[in-house]
Amino acid sequence: MAFVAQEHPVAPILSEPAPDGSRSPTPKIGKLMEWLTHWSIERRVLAGFGLVFAGIVVISAISYRNTSVLIENSRLDSKSHELVQLLDSVGEALDATERGHRRYLVTGEESYLKFYQSTVEQMPEYLQYLRGLTNEWPEQQSRVATLEELIARQLDAEARAITRREKDGYEAVRHLALSGAAKNELERIHFIMTELDAAEQRALQARVGQSTGSTRNTIALLGLGALLQLVLLASVYFLIHHDVTERRRVATELESRGELLQAANKELEAFSYSVSHDLRAPLRHIDGYAALLSKAAGEALNDKARRYLQTISDSAKQMGQLIDDLLVFSRMGRQDMLRTTVNLDQLVKTVLHDLHLDLQGRTISWTISPLPPVSGDPAMLRQVFVNLISNALKFTATRPEAKIEIGAIRRNPNEVEIFVRDNGVGFDMQYVNKLFGVFQRLHRSEEFEGTGIGLANVRRIIHRHGGRTWAEGALDQGATIYFSLPVARSLK
Amino acid sequence: MTTVKPILLAEDNPRDAELALAAMEEHHLADKVVVCHDGAEVLDYLYCRGAFASRQQGNPVVVFLDLKMPKVDGLEVLRTIKNDVNLKPIPVVMLTSSREECDLAQSYALGANAYVVKPVEFHQFITAVKELSVFWGIINEPPPDSSESTN
Repeated sequence: MAFVAQEHPVAPILSEPAPDGSRSPTPKIGKLMEWLTHWSIERRVLAGFGLVFAGIVVISAISYRNTSVLIENSRLDSKSHELVQLLDSVGEALDATERGHRRYLVTGEESYLKFYQSTVEQMPEYLQYLRGLTNEWPEQQSRVATLEELIARQLDAEARAITRREKDGYEAVRHLALSGAAKNELERIHFIMTELDAAEQRALQARVGQSTGSTRNTIALLGLGALLQLVLLASVYFLIHHDVTERRRVATELESRGELLQAANKELEAFSYSVSHDLRAPLRHIDGYAALLSKAAGEALNDKARRYLQTISDSAKQMGQLIDDLLVFSRMGRQDMLRTTVNLDQLVKTVLHDLHLDLQGRTISWTISPLPPVSGDPAMLRQVFVNLISNALKFTATRPEAKIEIGAIRRNPNEVEIFVRDNGVGFDMQYVNKLFGVFQRLHRSEEFEGTGIGLANVRRIIHRHGGRTWAEGALDQGATIYFSLPVARSLK
Repeated sequence: MTTVKPILLAEDNPRDAELALAAMEEHHLADKVVVCHDGAEVLDYLYCRGAFASRQQGNPVVVFLDLKMPKVDGLEVLRTIKNDVNLKPIPVVMLTSSREECDLAQSYALGANAYVVKPVEFHQFITAVKELSVFWGIINEPPPDSSESTN
């Protein structure tokens, strides 16, 4: 049977099956995968790109540091090379000075003092340069200081020797002319210079080692970084691909389900058409011929037979009513819906006016609160209020004073909850699930008339409006039927 | 006095036809009713052909048309009637079990003069048929019959 209230949504095909950790060979990876699959695609992509970005930052930082070391080393290298060259020049100059002054001491020829004079002139500059080149190494600087002192002593000794040669002649300085005035100093100068040179060469060597290591390190790191990024990009791609494939699969499934639903709906339409046309005819005949029989037999029938005939036609009428109700119910599900702003206050007023015949001879105390305008189909919503108010009237029929309350509760800005409350016979909350079912009745038909379609129609209409229906009640203490509706968009 | 113009009842279900006739009996209209059992027969009657080739000329005072009939269905008969200059003036009342919106809309679009849903309850059915017969067969002034006037 196709007339079932659409209470159960389609099976949740969108939820992914949770990976079974106990059966997975590596539970840790399984857990990680589970954790990852619970993330949304956006989070996964964001996490993936975040990792890639962090990797790039770390690798860039290390590469930058390595490159700075290389630049610094090359600066120091050029300083070292200059120092080595300067030491050579200073050494040569001092040697030349020594040779020059000894030749002067021997010959007394002034021109041999040329080197001495230029060295004395240039030496302060040379020494300053030397101090500048070694200012970053205290060890070398102390050597330079010693060197300075020795050079000063050498030049001083030579100056004294020259002065004596000038005053006292060759004989006075003969022994000096053979060995040199500052022989010891010069030897120590050369020793210090060799030390300076050796230390510089060692530092150079160490820096070359460091630079090579650092370069190798950087290359390895860049390679690793590239690999890492490739892996991360591949995983991000995999995650996206996985998700997209899943979505595509779901979309295809939804589409095929949609087609099936459409086919089912078509069938349902054909079915209800045939119900409407073909099922009613035999009922009409049963009732019609029962009436004709009762008329034709007339007096010949006894009371019992007349009652039988009456029951036949009553049953036929009841079935006709059931079919009509079913048709209305099925039409509520298929009918195109209007979406306009509905003034519920006005709607309730008209419904009460239309029901005034049912109100005659009844004592009813109405409590009707102002209702907000909602968005929906006016005819369908009218049906909802007709059904709910008729029910309230019907089930309070046994009360000396019926109390019926209609009101609205606003819990959130998008939705309004409306209720119809009565002090009628109520119902047992145990059967609340049956309340909105098709042809479900909680009272015997002798007690209260009706086919049991009213609340099913209410639920179907409210569901089509995107709302919910529920009820509260207690036996003999009245019932409250609630429904929610989306609030008209312009009136939020 | 001109001959009494008949009421044409197109009803494939003999029981419905019988019930309808029983209803018309009370106003002595039953003898004026011609019952056709499918759409083809209705067209044969209207065009005086087949079994009705020798019938007296003239259009019926009203046609009660069921929607669902064998061979030619009610909507097709309605279309034929309303597309024919001579038949067009005949009032056509759709008398059917169908309350479907599409049937209603289509019938009126094709030019039906009334649309009545057969009630399940016999008394209501009888009342409906009686009132329809009385209105269309007695109260309503039928259009001048072109074929008759030319005769």
